[in-house]
Amino acid sequence: MLKKLSLLAATFIVATGTALADPVSGGRANAVIQPEPPSLMLGLVQNGPTQMVAGNVYESLLRYGPDLEPLPQLAKSWEISEDGLTYTFHLYDNVKWHDGEPFSAEDVVFSADVFLRETHPRLRQSLKYVESITAPDANTVVFKLNEPFGPFIGIFEVGTMPMIPKHIYEGTDYKANPANNTPIGTGPFKFTEWTKGSHILLTKNEDYYIDGLPYLDEIYWHIIPDAASRSVAFETGVVDILPGGSVENFDVPRLTAMENTCVTDKGWEFIGPLSWMWLNNREGPTADKRFRQAVMYAMDREFAKDALWNGLGKVAQSPVSSSTRFFSDDVSQYPYDPDKARALLEEMGYDGTPVRLLPLPYGETWQRWAEAIKQNLEEVGVKVEIVATDVAGWNQKISDWDYDLAFTYLYQYGDPALGVARTYVSSNIAKGSPWNNVEGYENAKVDELFAKAATAVSKEERQALYTQVQQILTDDVPVAWLLELGFPTIYRCNVKDLVTTAIGVNDGFRDAYIEK
Amino acid sequence: MLRFIAMRLVKAAIILIAIVTLNFFLIHAAPGDPAAVMAGEAGAADDIFLEQLREQFGLDKPLLTQLGLYLGGIIQLDLGFSYRQQMPVADLIFDRLPATLLLTMTAFVISLVLGTLAGVLASARVGKWSDTLISTVALLFYATPLYWAALMAVLIFSVQLNWLPGFGYETVGGNYEGLDRVIDIAKHLILPATTLGLFFMAVYMRMTRASMLEVSTLDFVKTARAKGLKPGIIQRRHVFRNALLPVVTLAGLQAGQLVGGAVLTETVFAWPGIGRLMFEALAQRDYNVLLGVFFVSAAMVLLFNLITDILYRVVDPRIRAS
Amino acid sequence: MTDFWKRYQRNRGAVIGLIILLAVVLVAVLAPVLFPQSPWKMVQRPFLPPFAMERFPLGTDTLGRNVLAGLAHGAQVSLLVGLISTLVSLVIGIPIGALAGYFGGWVDDALMRFTEFFQTVPNFALAIVLVAIFEPSVQSIVGAIAIVSWPPVARLVRGEVLSLRSREYVEAAILSGQTNATIIWRQILPNTLSPIIVLASLMVATAILLESSLSFLGLGDPNLMSWGYMIGAARTVIRQAWWLSFFPGLAIVLTVLALNLIGEGLNDALNPRLSRKGK
Repeated sequence: MLKKLSLLAATFIVATGTALADPVSGGRANAVIQPEPPSLMLGLVQNGPTQMVAGNVYESLLRYGPDLEPLPQLAKSWEISEDGLTYTFHLYDNVKWHDGEPFSAEDVVFSADVFLRETHPRLRQSLKYVESITAPDANTVVFKLNEPFGPFIGIFEVGTMPMIPKHIYEGTDYKANPANNTPIGTGPFKFTEWTKGSHILLTKNEDYYIDGLPYLDEIYWHIIPDAASRSVAFETGVVDILPGGSVENFDVPRLTAMENTCVTDKGWEFIGPLSWMWLNNREGPTADKRFRQAVMYAMDREFAKDALWNGLGKVAQSPVSSSTRFFSDDVSQYPYDPDKARALLEEMGYDGTPVRLLPLPYGETWQRWAEAIKQNLEEVGVKVEIVATDVAGWNQKISDWDYDLAFTYLYQYGDPALGVARTYVSSNIAKGSPWNNVEGYENAKVDELFAKAATAVSKEERQALYTQVQQILTDDVPVAWLLELGFPTIYRCNVKDLVTTAIGVNDGFRDAYIEK
Repeated sequence: MLRFIAMRLVKAAIILIAIVTLNFFLIHAAPGDPAAVMAGEAGAADDIFLEQLREQFGLDKPLLTQLGLYLGGIIQLDLGFSYRQQMPVADLIFDRLPATLLLTMTAFVISLVLGTLAGVLASARVGKWSDTLISTVALLFYATPLYWAALMAVLIFSVQLNWLPGFGYETVGGNYEGLDRVIDIAKHLILPATTLGLFFMAVYMRMTRASMLEVSTLDFVKTARAKGLKPGIIQRRHVFRNALLPVVTLAGLQAGQLVGGAVLTETVFAWPGIGRLMFEALAQRDYNVLLGVFFVSAAMVLLFNLITDILYRVVDPRIRAS
Repeated sequence: MTDFWKRYQRNRGAVIGLIILLAVVLVAVLAPVLFPQSPWKMVQRPFLPPFAMERFPLGTDTLGRNVLAGLAHGAQVSLLVGLISTLVSLVIGIPIGALAGYFGGWVDDALMRFTEFFQTVPNFALAIVLVAIFEPSVQSIVGAIAIVSWPPVARLVRGEVLSLRSREYVEAAILSGQTNATIIWRQILPNTLSPIIVLASLMVATAILLESSLSFLGLGDPNLMSWGYMIGAARTVIRQAWWLSFFPGLAIVLTVLALNLIGEGLNDALNPRLSRKGK
């Protein structure tokens, strides 16, 4: 294992080294997409694979750097008023849709206010703060809010607010529109061909509004439904890019040990996948705070990271991922300490009641992880019974609160108000969804802090509030945080500048080039 | 004969409907539904989104209405629509069916031919070392889990010796055309088909051997021998033909079992067939796909049974007469 | 009894089978003594190859668990599941077959159509669906295996009962006014025992194979270390660690082989009229 890890470390240095040569145009990028997306119409479907392919076809107003700072995309500049209520965007004026029609501020108003409000559940939550969206002229869009909303500047990402062509969709039945099969965006690549079960072909948008971009002629997404075959496809040179999650973790060391192979776990900063175990705060031993803390001490998370995730990712310190804004490490820490766990269990008088543990039914790594945690817990004296489920059964059990401990991972979307608060505020306790406050944690102070922090205007104020909330949560341990997941993107080292933004491959092909 | 076939077809149709109904209720008894799975893949969803999906799938209707609609569709040979895959179920299944048929039929032929040959060989050399060897190998094959045989085959012939590809249906990105493509697929087919056929190869061998020995003690063979016919002719003309009967029965049974066994083989070899399709659809509660796979595979089993019965009548004159 | 043993031991394979099976049973019984620690315990670094460390002669798996301990504890699971699910299929199959054979007529027709129906549904596929729906656990696995394995029992028993029913002693019992239940239970079933025992020994072997196949697909009981589970968990790492799938597979082959050999031996010993044919 140690040898494998040092190999990984070596390839990292290569991966993060900056390219000195000038970008060259031309060439085809062969990438893997897994699983096959159900649709490429990003306004209707926001699955991981849909975002990965369609994020290079559609665009939003902004992109985000690895530090989550906004960068120009369709908007070349923007202003936010002092009171945090008015956001004004100035658009590029030579933008065309892939069918040749001009793109204008009217498309932005249609996309955000009409189309996505109806189809995009995640954006819908943020749009609650929006009073009006207007287009004073063809190249200007103004969002007026009814109260300040801290994370607002972070919602102009392509998976959150993709621009939809008004001239195609206005007045139609969106889901039945035949254009859904041939997506039209403004992005650097055009949709060309999709042979189900085989491949998706995107070709260069010659009329892209930024001169010289993109560099690549084509992106060829290979659809290979089996993880082992995907590894072989990379080994035999059929594909050059394996985005995060496309091969089994156990294959990663073998692949990264190959010549001319680079790996990076960057490009997930915006999404910020954080894994944890739901702990049922309502009943059973998990209702006791000391039991929950004991769980945190009992888990050997470093071992899981090394043995199951090839050392990629980070042990989670707080409910906020370290790449998300307002992360704080000034919180209660839980190193691996079985003795402390035993002491806490003794103090609470744990009577050996068995607890049920639900693994995440997403393949081998997660199954092994559940087995390791079960063993960790049994070694401090907790009796654990793993309950086997499939994807549908897992969804159902979590939504019905029918569990004691249950694995999950959720996205943070760059800001605690978007991706963290939903897990802990008491207003979000409701049966029927696996993404809300499933653990049933109720704390008026936490509710108040999250509410204040969301609408506070200044960054400093928000940081102070979020630090406080992270301190309370890490003490109460409403859920057992595991790892900030590191999904490795594996690629040939001569593919340059592929992962430069906070969403990595999802919009990275705009700047990518292949060194000859 | 025609009347016999017509009767059997009616019976088959009734069994098919019963199977579909049974599966329909089984699948709907499972926890969770496809809307929740799809919403889960989208990362986040609210009640409005779930309701939209359920309405789109028709999951908001009463269960019996759903069953009625489904059976109504089946009668018109409409297998419904997979919302998860955004494709008609019939297209999905017929995309995958050729791969499964190619795999199972090849396995069938390999096991039947090699199994009966080995059986005849062993029966001709009863008690000699070649008989012992063949019988021992057959016993081993008979006890080997087919997925394990498959894994070991990959390990030896693909990973260690690098003779044959260990995964997939054809070379990814190979873009072979014409004869090259056929050869490429054939190479990919060897390991999965052989390992899938191992178990039944053993069964055929044992059965043929026992059956040959039994028939050779029967009176008419003794008569033929007494008449002074050459042993080779007796073996071929009298013994083998009669020993074939139980083999034919078994072949019909095997055809049905192969579809189930294919799930394992397809898993190990990443073979893009309907076994995998079924397994994936099950976890995602893709009701229509699952029911469609069951419908098609049960129809195939019934068809094979029918063919067996007809063959039986052709091979065995006694049944034909009655 | 000595007669039985004399006939049994004439089949050398059957004796070998018995020895292997006894060894497996011994390992299963002694597993908690030989390996008192949980087979799930992570005891060494992951992917330790076999014969590298004396304490772990068969190496460790993806999480550093002792493969040998897993094999020993897995023997318990395989044997128990095989045995119990066979008993359950007998409990389903014998009454159905007995009733069909004894009463004949429409009862026979209905029961046999029912049996046929279960034979038409692809066996393994049905088992997969059943386990997935009722969620993988020992109970659901045993149930699923029993549900797909009883039809041959019913058919066998029906055939036997059909031939026994016309025997004189059965006719006599009917005339003497015994109830149907008594006749079936006292007069008929005891005489069908031999073929049932032979069939059952073969069914245990098939059940072990079925259980291992389900576990291989990830449909095993997640709290029990079974051979099929070990192979399934090793599938994705077969290139790195051949031993993780090799040894459990070998254990399955030996156990199933032993049971099949024993089945043949029992057949020779219990049905002397048929024995030695083709041997």
